[in-house]
Amino acid sequence: MKPRKRMMSLGLSIANLGYHYAAWRHPDVPADGNMDFRHFVHCARLAERGKMDGIFLADSSAVRDLDRPAIAREMEHQLVKHEPTALLTALAAVTKHVGLVPTASATYNEPFNLVRQLVTLDRVSHGRAGWNMVTGFSIDEARNFGLDKVAPSDERHERAAEFVAVMRGLEDGPIDHQGKHFRVRGSLGVPPVAHRIPIFTAGESDNAQELAARCADVVYGGQPNIDDARAYYASVKGRMAKYGRDPDELKMMPGIMAFVGRTLQEARDKFDRMQALIEPRLGLGLLTVSSFPDYTGYDLDGPVPDLPMPGGRKSEFVVGALAKAKRENLTIRQLYELVSGGFWHLGMVGTPTMIADLMEEWFATGAADGFNIQPPCIPVDAEDFIELVVPELQRRGLFRTEYEGTTLSEHLGLRRAVPMAEVA
Amino acid sequence: MRQMKLGLSIASAGYHYSAWCHPDVDVRSATSIQHHVTAAKIAERGKMDFVFLADWSSILSVDDTRIARDREQAQVKVDPTLAMAAVAVVTKHVGLMPTASTTYWHPFNFARRMAAIDHLSGGRVGWNMVTSHGLDEARNFGLDKPLDSDTRHDRAREFLHVMRGLWDSWDDDAFIRDKESGQFFRPGSVHALNHEGRHFKVRGPLDMARPPQGFLPIITAGTSDNSQDLAAELADMCYGGQPNIEAARAYYTSVKGRLPKYGRKPEDLLMMPGIQCYVGRTQAEAEDKFALMQSVMPKEVGIGQLIVNHFPDLSAYGLDDPLPDLTMRNEFLGSEKLGGREPELTLALMRRARDEKLTLRQLFDVALCGFWSLGVIGTPKSIADMMEEWFTTGAADGFNVQPPYLPGGGEDFVDLVIPELQRRGLFRTEYEGRTLRENLGLPRPPSLHATAVAEAAE
Repeated sequence: MKPRKRMMSLGLSIANLGYHYAAWRHPDVPADGNMDFRHFVHCARLAERGKMDGIFLADSSAVRDLDRPAIAREMEHQLVKHEPTALLTALAAVTKHVGLVPTASATYNEPFNLVRQLVTLDRVSHGRAGWNMVTGFSIDEARNFGLDKVAPSDERHERAAEFVAVMRGLEDGPIDHQGKHFRVRGSLGVPPVAHRIPIFTAGESDNAQELAARCADVVYGGQPNIDDARAYYASVKGRMAKYGRDPDELKMMPGIMAFVGRTLQEARDKFDRMQALIEPRLGLGLLTVSSFPDYTGYDLDGPVPDLPMPGGRKSEFVVGALAKAKRENLTIRQLYELVSGGFWHLGMVGTPTMIADLMEEWFATGAADGFNIQPPCIPVDAEDFIELVVPELQRRGLFRTEYEGTTLSEHLGLRRAVPMAEVA
Repeated sequence: MRQMKLGLSIASAGYHYSAWCHPDVDVRSATSIQHHVTAAKIAERGKMDFVFLADWSSILSVDDTRIARDREQAQVKVDPTLAMAAVAVVTKHVGLMPTASTTYWHPFNFARRMAAIDHLSGGRVGWNMVTSHGLDEARNFGLDKPLDSDTRHDRAREFLHVMRGLWDSWDDDAFIRDKESGQFFRPGSVHALNHEGRHFKVRGPLDMARPPQGFLPIITAGTSDNSQDLAAELADMCYGGQPNIEAARAYYTSVKGRLPKYGRKPEDLLMMPGIQCYVGRTQAEAEDKFALMQSVMPKEVGIGQLIVNHFPDLSAYGLDDPLPDLTMRNEFLGSEKLGGREPELTLALMRRARDEKLTLRQLFDVALCGFWSLGVIGTPKSIADMMEEWFTTGAADGFNVQPPYLPGGGEDFVDLVIPELQRRGLFRTEYEGRTLRENLGLPRPPSLHATAVAEAAE
């Protein structure tokens, strides 16, 4: 049999109203969309029209940083959101092909409950469930679950690895698991359709990379340029051998946020229009919440002052952005526009050809096996990506023109997934 | 005029233990979302208040080889909250009542899940609140035995208190979403909970707009003092399991009698006994349906069910042999499997078997077709007569209909019995409202914070 040509995997990230902080103010974005099921049906059908592997819902179990007055939370749209597993199960009932990947925490869920729910999603969708496994680094989440602080990274990742062991056990049949974090003696009674539900993870820390190499099927990457992405790709895949895994068993899928225009000018106009919607108070607050120093009170159009860094998580992005600000003599306004654009990951303003060129280069030179599309505004920029970029990728033979399989594992081309006969 | 409330219980393929063996039943019902959707649409066609999905978080006693678990349908099932999330988006009117445990859910996760389904359904979800006394469940959650009843019920009370606080996190008018000014919500319209109690510490706020219903209608069940008190204090409905009108009246009076001590009126709680019926246009047709259902039940399932329910092991007897003097099996009584409960339904059935000198087959007929609650084989008229009597003489405010098999048993009830109830003015002919609360006649509660503002203004 002729081996199938390697193709990209594409996911559509549909959290909130888009990945740009001011997305909800776009005239064609429904401002109440993130509590409106019809909005999400539209998104899911778009993804199916684009033959995408799955839709992905980011999540955290909290309203974050509400008590920090420097942050203009009342100007943001992502504080209230749908519960991903319920929402995607509802979407399963009205879609046919697209994979459904909710985020859920291995730290704040009991394995028996969550695995049962994921298998339910898988059953309702006939094999289209995935799980984005997170371990929860936010203090705001910890406080909703009886804790005064976040458990250390080592402990969270150890628990997550044990969580996956329990999950894989429950997927296979009855278990009598006795571990450090869990004791589970029982059975779900019903297996997932595709035998194993694909697991997504993310994160750059050693712990996160080890966890991914050990048990993830997809890694959602966040590298802003090809050099970093290649290094990350090699680093994660390089760790797999010690867990007895082949590099092909894991798909590296960086996030990409693209402003697409039929012409470069059109793309730039879209970008500029969104940037203009960021109020200064929102912009300054976002710098604060993103672990930049607090620039409140300084001249927005003056140079970025040299203030001490706040404590907490050190972000390479923050260090990099400040270096860029210094190098290019950016103003505070330009800095927050840079940050607020949402370009934490790979960002691109361009034509379909330019964007496809970039994706092809990443795909062909060891930086990506696919991408998670993060539309700046939803649904409008998702529509543009699917109408303009996906056809270009298809013309180049880089992406499917029809769904070949029925399950998420099949869409992703995961080698390990052995579809089982319907059992029930 | 006072009218009945009616729920349709749609767990598994029906309430007969061997429902899945019925020739017209899809053997995959319990894990098929199509089954749940079909059942919900039947209930909606009958203008029923809600569909109800029983649940427990485990499979049951698979290691007891005397029980033919491999012949039972109820071992495999899907998560009820998520099944209802899917049903929500393909139905318009019917309420959705999933079961969930206050012992094995974390309140923050649960508040999100249920608020999400209330938004998805436009305000049609309720909650069958259980505290989980099963040993098999405990073992799935790191415990060697279930928590004791007092602890479970204390936790349930605190759980509900946390739900109220979390669901009221955002004021009803919190979201302005003014694209011009860039203001998405009104500052001061979001409230942290900062709950610190005996069982939970939850800061909040919830990351979701207030549920359309404000607070979800709650149904509970159970005959223990703890269960009855919990129902009287916090529930909107109580799912009863009494097999005859005397027992149902006593239970009705007992639960309603507890309401005043919680500052509530008798009409604040609806008593909803379960009723399983085989409906025929004639009595003979109904009896044929029952006989067909009974005929597909293997003896092993019957014997196993008796063992589970603490009967002596009867496997040595033939189906038509007279039974020996039945005495209760001792080894489980008072043991951890019962968690301190009296197996009252079993004791009642045991008495009846002794008094009426039932054969094993007759005992199966009573016990194993699922007639633990009210069971009836009859015509629309005889069934409506009975329901009317229960409804008008202090035994019920409505019923949870437990079809012996689905969808056929549900269709029979909706197509034959409901029109008769409607003719008598005992049941609605159109939905009164859009939300489950509205159809149940429950007012939408104001937010805790709205109340605080109103009081401060006085």
